[in-house]
Amino acid sequence: MSTDERVTIRKLPTGVPGLDEILGGGLPEYSFNIIAGAPGGGKTTLAHQVVFANATPARPALYFTVLGEPAIKMLRYQQQFEFFDPAKLNTAVRFINLSQVVLEKDLNAVLEEIVKEVEAASPGIVVVDSFRTVVRKAQAGTAELDLQGFVQKLALHLTSWEATTFLIGEYTEGEIRDNPVFTVSDGLFWLYQQVERNSIVRKLQVMKLRGQTSVPGLHTFRITAAGVQAFPRTFGLTGRAEKARDRRRLSSGVADLDGMLGGGIPEGDSLLVAGPSGTGKSVLATQFIAAGLRRGEPGIVAIFEERPDEYAERAANLGMDFETARHDGQLSVIYLRPLDLSVDETIREILDAVARTGAKRVAIDSLAGFEMALAPGFRADFRESLYRMIGALTRTGVTIVSTVEVTETFTELALSPYSISFLSDDIIRLRYVEIGGQLRKVLMVVKMRAGDHSKDIREYEITAEGFRVGGRLTGYHGLITGVPEPLHPGPGGEPGPGTPDPKE
Amino acid sequence: MNTVTPAIQNLARRLIALEAARIPSDGLGGAAVRACEKLRVPLARLAGVAGFRSLLARAVALATAEVPWLDSVQVRPDGALEGFDAAGRQPGAVLGGEAGTAVVAHLLGLLVTFIGDPLTLALVRDAWPDAPVDETERRAEGQL
Repeated sequence: MSTDERVTIRKLPTGVPGLDEILGGGLPEYSFNIIAGAPGGGKTTLAHQVVFANATPARPALYFTVLGEPAIKMLRYQQQFEFFDPAKLNTAVRFINLSQVVLEKDLNAVLEEIVKEVEAASPGIVVVDSFRTVVRKAQAGTAELDLQGFVQKLALHLTSWEATTFLIGEYTEGEIRDNPVFTVSDGLFWLYQQVERNSIVRKLQVMKLRGQTSVPGLHTFRITAAGVQAFPRTFGLTGRAEKARDRRRLSSGVADLDGMLGGGIPEGDSLLVAGPSGTGKSVLATQFIAAGLRRGEPGIVAIFEERPDEYAERAANLGMDFETARHDGQLSVIYLRPLDLSVDETIREILDAVARTGAKRVAIDSLAGFEMALAPGFRADFRESLYRMIGALTRTGVTIVSTVEVTETFTELALSPYSISFLSDDIIRLRYVEIGGQLRKVLMVVKMRAGDHSKDIREYEITAEGFRVGGRLTGYHGLITGVPEPLHPGPGGEPGPGTPDPKE
Repeated sequence: MNTVTPAIQNLARRLIALEAARIPSDGLGGAAVRACEKLRVPLARLAGVAGFRSLLARAVALATAEVPWLDSVQVRPDGALEGFDAAGRQPGAVLGGEAGTAVVAHLLGLLVTFIGDPLTLALVRDAWPDAPVDETERRAEGQL
């Protein structure tokens, strides 16, 4: 059969950001689906969101409630979500209570009642919440074959009446086998609420979806005042970023450093600033954003360790007015809720801010803070997560400066504790060196993918105006070990005369 | 706790007046019973018969605090009010219209407490498509 001859299955939007992508474009129209999971997993909220996204007075949604959450309370709670539209109630969205039929009668009566309502309303969407209650009641006095017959007839009737159906149930994974409900269903969506140490992470899985290819695996999702938002697992892995050879160079905000970088940071690059605590990584990231703002380039700062006001205050101490930029919409300071973040929602948050503000520069300060903000389960995959995040961000064309804290050792020059150097196009390393009884700071450009860069190791200071890069430290060897020795020791251990900087 | 605002009282009075106009011989008490009966249909569909019965029983209990002779009024398992007329004929039982208004107002008040006034008004409109209940009027009176 050629592609043209095949029936086209229309896909309904779920109304859940991210979920259509996971489903391969949306919900197959007229499909018979199960939303399963433990109590508190978000099943009802997901169903409501789908209902309100699709119901119209001409093709309404029938929401059958059965013995579970009383409908009055369901309405009380669900109307708190932004997607809930009271104007649709009783016209496009109709709630029908089946409790009495289920309690007093048998499966045939339940089926009759559903059929009667469906034939009267000709709904586009039908939800039975909770279907598990119907089945449990049925199982008490019904043979398995009768239950299978009931599910079969229900699916047949609802499909014939061109309804896309959702049966909601509190199931455990062990119940999937030999359960007629799962056998008949076209789609099976499982919602999990996983406890990881003290954190809660919500995940969903499309276990089955007939007729179209969905994205396999567990996808994180969150429930906020806006409702359910899903984050596809493949987020950040698709698409390709094209980088022109003659890209514009962006100022880092420190003129001497721009010189060391061969004219600035190549636009669209991801630059990593690595160094131990107190070496000025955040100052450098802040100067990078401030330099963009001065040129009218919107920026985004993702922070995890301090609040936006504190961050703006610190910038103000360096003479940078971030408050006005925030007020004008030129700068977004994203403070992500710590401790139970998923990487995907962080990426989504930053990408949304990029789209909203047209940002050209993003500072992520810091990767260590980001790691700490994640739920424990995500920390195990942090390297892979960073790969996806950096990939997703650079594909938008923004230039990223990330900071990372490294523990100073005096035997090696570590670039990052995460072995993520390959993710960065450019790396600047800051470090302490002990010279003449003083702890001084040096910086070096370790890597630049786009071209040549300075090989100098230069001393720098952090002043009230930010970075002040000094001259190249000559007359020592072993600078990158942190405990250099003078090439020609003078009387006090300082380099003796006759060791000029060849560049000066 | 359910509190009946003047706007809810007014709405209850208007609904009872609508019912009274349909069968004047029943009096205001009978009209109140029919008003509850009319709300039973959409509410039972939404919350189930047992759900409606619970709400009405609570409304009667709250109204009894204001109109003591209502204490002999019962709510049947199917959600119908029982004994309203008989209670109204007891010595000292006066103001049948006020008693009926109290019951209907508390029923509406409970709905507003649980699901808010827009959804409550939607249910009222469902039961009385011809009732003069609209958003403009509601705004003029303040929130239910």
